[in-house]
Amino acid sequence: MAPARTPARLLAAGAPWALPLLLIVVWQAAAQTGLMSSRILPEPWAVATAFWHLAMSGELWTHLKVSLWRALAGFAVGAGLGLLLGLLNGSSRRAAVLLDTTLQMVRNIPALALIPLVILWFGIDEAAKLFLLSVGVFFPMYLNTFHGIRAVDPALIEMARSYGLSGWALYRDVILPGALPSILVGVRFSLGLVWVLLIVAETISAQAGIGYMTMNAREFLQTDVVLVGVLLYALLGKAADVAARGLERHFLRWNPAYL
Amino acid sequence: MQTNPIEENRVSQAAGKAARGAHLTLRGLGKRYAGRTVLDGVNLKIAPGEFVAVVGRSGCGKSTLLRAIAGLEPPDAGQVRIGGGGKPPEVRMMFQDARLLPWKTVLQNVALGLDNGEARAHAALASVGLAERAGDWPAVLSGGQRQRVALARALVHEPQLLLLDEPLGALDALTRIEMQQLIESLWTRRGFTAVLVTHDVQEAVVLADRILLIEEGRLALDLDVGLARPRGRGSVDFGSLEQKVLDRVLRVHHKLVDDREIQHA
Repeated sequence: MAPARTPARLLAAGAPWALPLLLIVVWQAAAQTGLMSSRILPEPWAVATAFWHLAMSGELWTHLKVSLWRALAGFAVGAGLGLLLGLLNGSSRRAAVLLDTTLQMVRNIPALALIPLVILWFGIDEAAKLFLLSVGVFFPMYLNTFHGIRAVDPALIEMARSYGLSGWALYRDVILPGALPSILVGVRFSLGLVWVLLIVAETISAQAGIGYMTMNAREFLQTDVVLVGVLLYALLGKAADVAARGLERHFLRWNPAYL
Repeated sequence: MQTNPIEENRVSQAAGKAARGAHLTLRGLGKRYAGRTVLDGVNLKIAPGEFVAVVGRSGCGKSTLLRAIAGLEPPDAGQVRIGGGGKPPEVRMMFQDARLLPWKTVLQNVALGLDNGEARAHAALASVGLAERAGDWPAVLSGGQRQRVALARALVHEPQLLLLDEPLGALDALTRIEMQQLIESLWTRRGFTAVLVTHDVQEAVVLADRILLIEEGRLALDLDVGLARPRGRGSVDFGSLEQKVLDRVLRVHHKLVDDREIQHA
């Protein structure tokens, strides 16, 4: 059984990557036959060499480090606040009455529409970028946490109360785990959004970061470097998604839907 | 002096039951929802160690009665008194759905609300025959197994009064009979007072010392079941008693239908 199984498994593991590979092959062929000018889109091989040179010179890692740091800080502040306020408003009717309407109004302002104001308030420093990222990441986290807490099965809460659980024990054993699937959806949304916001935030003005690297390359018509930046964003986005999935697999292992 | 060991055993069992079960008294218990009377002055006395089944059509107020006894619904009138010794009695409820926490293992579910109760939870799981499933998630259990875990969770607190709100209603016929036997044997051994709400008249006749019928929020029938345990479903006495209760439960319905036909005519 085993030998017959292994190729089948390899095929299944490789299947998601078949389409991207095919695209790269077609792209390379189009560039080599002159169908596509390298000013519009450089050939994949050129992108690979540009990546190699950037990696060897150390430039790539400097920019990557700066961007990663910004993304993590923005996510920590925005998602952290979203989680806290979501927990507060989900658990307390009074807090929800006071705060939810305001938050819903603010939510409808696109974070990126605030850029001019943000530049006025914070200048063009790190604080401006951190603010933009946190505001954008806050809402998916807030909404999903709020909804998750409210959606915990009241029958389970009643049962737990009748077994003597109250206060923190009730929160820890019933309400938080019950809201966790929804909270993790919020984490996933936020992690996806943080990269989109980062791209915009880094193009405002920056002295380092992947966004800065690509903007700079555009000035010098280095389309291969621009593409390296674009691909880096794609890879980082995918890595964030894998991390979020890992969290779900770990924390929701009791749920057959996540096995 | 000669003693009959069997007789002695029965006497001590009865004495043990009285000691371990709580007595329950309802006085003028009333409950209204949005202007509709659900419970209308229910008076009831249940002796320690007694197994009482409450039957009735759906919506008659039998579940509300149980929830009022459990303290889950504050009554609008009257009072509930549960007592045994001096300290507050241990009352546990088993719900129609097992209500296990899906993010806790079977063992953790049974140990819910206990301090360092793992050993006791293990023992309770063993008493319902699920010791080997302790580490599993509730999601992988069958409906009957989930209800057995819920039973273990109630029993681990050594309740003096166990309230059962149609706990077997969603199970298939064979699993239901198994569960009835399990509940009966645990009740015989432990001697708690039990109040079982059910829509299944046969279940009531199998398990109960006493069958109560609730109609329109009132106690309409209070019947002693004199059959010896364990009760065979095939016996003539069993069948005639079941038929008697069933006829009584359905009578109201027939009357309503008759009224309607008369109005139409």
